[in-house]
Amino acid sequence: MTSWLSGYGSVLDLVLLNCGLALSQFVVLRAGVFSVATPALASIGAYTAGIVTLRTDAGAGTGLLAAAAMGTAVAVILSVPLARLRGVFQAIATVAFSQIVLSLALYATDLTGGANGLNGIPRLIGTTQLLLWAAAVVYVLICLSRARIGYAFDAIRQDETVAVTLGISAVGHQTLAFALSGAIAGVTGALMAYHNRSVAPEEFGFGMLVTVLAYVVLGGRRSVLGPLAGATLLTLLPELARPLSDNRLIVHGAVLMLVIIYLPHGIVDTLLIAYRRRATAAARASLPIDEVSDGPA
Amino acid sequence: MGQLELAGVSRRFAGVEAVRNLSMTVESGRITGLIGPNGAGKTTVVNLVTGLLKLTSGRIRLDRQDIGERPPHEVARLGIARTFQNIRLLKEASVIDNIVVGFHRSDPTSFVAQTLGLPSVRRTRAGLEQRAHELLRDFAMDEYAQCLAGELSYGHQRRVEIMRALAVDPQVLLLDEPVSGMNDVEAAELGAMFRRFAERELAVLVIEHNMQLVMTLCDELYVLESGELIAHGPPEQVRNDARVVEAYLGGELC
Repeated sequence: MTSWLSGYGSVLDLVLLNCGLALSQFVVLRAGVFSVATPALASIGAYTAGIVTLRTDAGAGTGLLAAAAMGTAVAVILSVPLARLRGVFQAIATVAFSQIVLSLALYATDLTGGANGLNGIPRLIGTTQLLLWAAAVVYVLICLSRARIGYAFDAIRQDETVAVTLGISAVGHQTLAFALSGAIAGVTGALMAYHNRSVAPEEFGFGMLVTVLAYVVLGGRRSVLGPLAGATLLTLLPELARPLSDNRLIVHGAVLMLVIIYLPHGIVDTLLIAYRRRATAAARASLPIDEVSDGPA
Repeated sequence: MGQLELAGVSRRFAGVEAVRNLSMTVESGRITGLIGPNGAGKTTVVNLVTGLLKLTSGRIRLDRQDIGERPPHEVARLGIARTFQNIRLLKEASVIDNIVVGFHRSDPTSFVAQTLGLPSVRRTRAGLEQRAHELLRDFAMDEYAQCLAGELSYGHQRRVEIMRALAVDPQVLLLDEPVSGMNDVEAAELGAMFRRFAERELAVLVIEHNMQLVMTLCDELYVLESGELIAHGPPEQVRNDARVVEAYLGGELC
């Protein structure tokens, strides 16, 4: 078991890191915010952890805490102007935000190392820590989704007007979703820095933005399992399709297209909906006949 | 308790005055009707009361407390719940989840408990689901609890929306065309139910086009036309008001 794991260790690490990013993206989408700020927030976390460790010799714990705090703080500040926007305008605003963060990383050379990025960060974490982090995030998100906050997120996403007339503060919950997303992205970014031993600005560019969004689109944005499935599949796919060499990206794109067309809720959510339909159909079949006849039109 | 009071309420959309200088009272224990031809501004009134639209001028008070400037979620927490003219359920969610979400303001679990998944969260949820089942039984719909809300018939969807509004535990219930698209038997059934809400000291405001129901059900009627109040009083008085008859193109009132 251990030897098998070590053979695939680097791929597993990559899957776990990408799961972290996918969950950060998932939280905001679940609360009905069309933000794509996750890569930018992750880069803030990565730079924070890298700078803290390189300048102060602080351990991973301090770096991760600082990254979580920075990610959360920036996300909460970002949520203030975004609360005035809806839908695709939020997406455009967060793309702009990502470009600003990227430019700062490139031009604040004294702090960030500019185009060279940060190098020589000690490797402070291994697969175990990545596994613990992913498990902790999944646990918290599952707990939240079964509690009042999860119900509120779902209500806001499906119909914000209904949510507010039921006494749910849309702005409050979306700020909370941003804070969670920022914390998750910040820590995941820091783990990337400690894992890769370097931070390069172009890692967190438009490419990652599209990929992370694809994780959630592919897997599903309602169940916590969705982004996990999406991130795992899209991370493993290039590995599995290795024999196709240069055509790998075509397979990647084709899979995404097929899922968007045939499974618009994403893989996991589509399966859950189908399962639920069958369960209610069974429950309905057990009703008395006259009840069924005045049931669904 | 639970008196809703509008004083000189106006709302202007660009050049159009959708509601002009409207004053009305919705009292607890009574069913108040708001009627008028299409486009008279009835739904605008509901949107103003619930805070979804901002007042151009005037005041709205709940138990003498000014609520005219408050955001919608605060208005709801003070005890004003509503249904929508075009049913707005959470279609991806089950019937029971649609009702449970209405209990939002009476769920006391702390953020930490929710984050860590402490047992109190599960207990609270179970309690809320219990209350939702009680509501479903009141409406003779308990067997539909696990169905997806979007798959129910029209009449049943309306009932779920009313249950969700009741889950907010309101003092004032605003029903925007609650029996539209229903036959007379179904409408009378719901009417009897609204009467029971009023008997439980709720202040009920009904916007409705079904004249037969409005005339038999309401204790008091307000008639709007082009945003202006043209008549007000008990149904038998309003029925014979010359301006009301004219607004409805004569003779349509039974």
